[in-house]
Amino acid sequence: MASRPKLSGIQKQVLALYRGFLRTARLKDPEERHRIESVVSAEFRDNARNVDRRNFVYIEYLLRRGKRQLEQLKNPDITGLATLEVKK
Amino acid sequence: MSSHDAHLTREEVVDRVLDVLKSHPKVDPSKVTPEAHFEKDLGLDSLDTVEVVMAIEEEFKLEIPDKEADKIDSLPLAIEYVANHPMAG
Repeated sequence: MASRPKLSGIQKQVLALYRGFLRTARLKDPEERHRIESVVSAEFRDNARNVDRRNFVYIEYLLRRGKRQLEQLKNPDITGLATLEVKK
Repeated sequence: MSSHDAHLTREEVVDRVLDVLKSHPKVDPSKVTPEAHFEKDLGLDSLDTVEVVMAIEEEFKLEIPDKEADKIDSLPLAIEYVANHPMAG
């Protein structure tokens, strides 16, 4: 029985980014961690539902933006995502 | 050196991995078995799977590299990974 089809390269990048956010959230205090986790999870799920999966240009843009936000969040002086939330 | 650093028993690994899965908000605990596949049996998507694998890391105080984590899509694979990991605690 074949299991789930292998993940594509771009899917792996998205999942690695999600993992990166969750790892970084662990380093914050518990309340902040919880808040970061809900914001990040909502953002990823929203995009997973609404972004056309063939729209590589846009997905790559989101990946770049996410990576930049993650780098900012890694800064220990940054406690939360308040400045990173994206207006729709 | 001391006798208390004996490796985890397989039974202990299985129990704790099952508990981690059962406590994920999207999982129906009655469907969790040591043979379950995250997606096919538990209805998890790829983002849920990332969350579950990270929760397993935390439970056993491990860090699973992305390359390995991407392959873990079922309880048997998760149990295997933890049981074979020398640092699992």
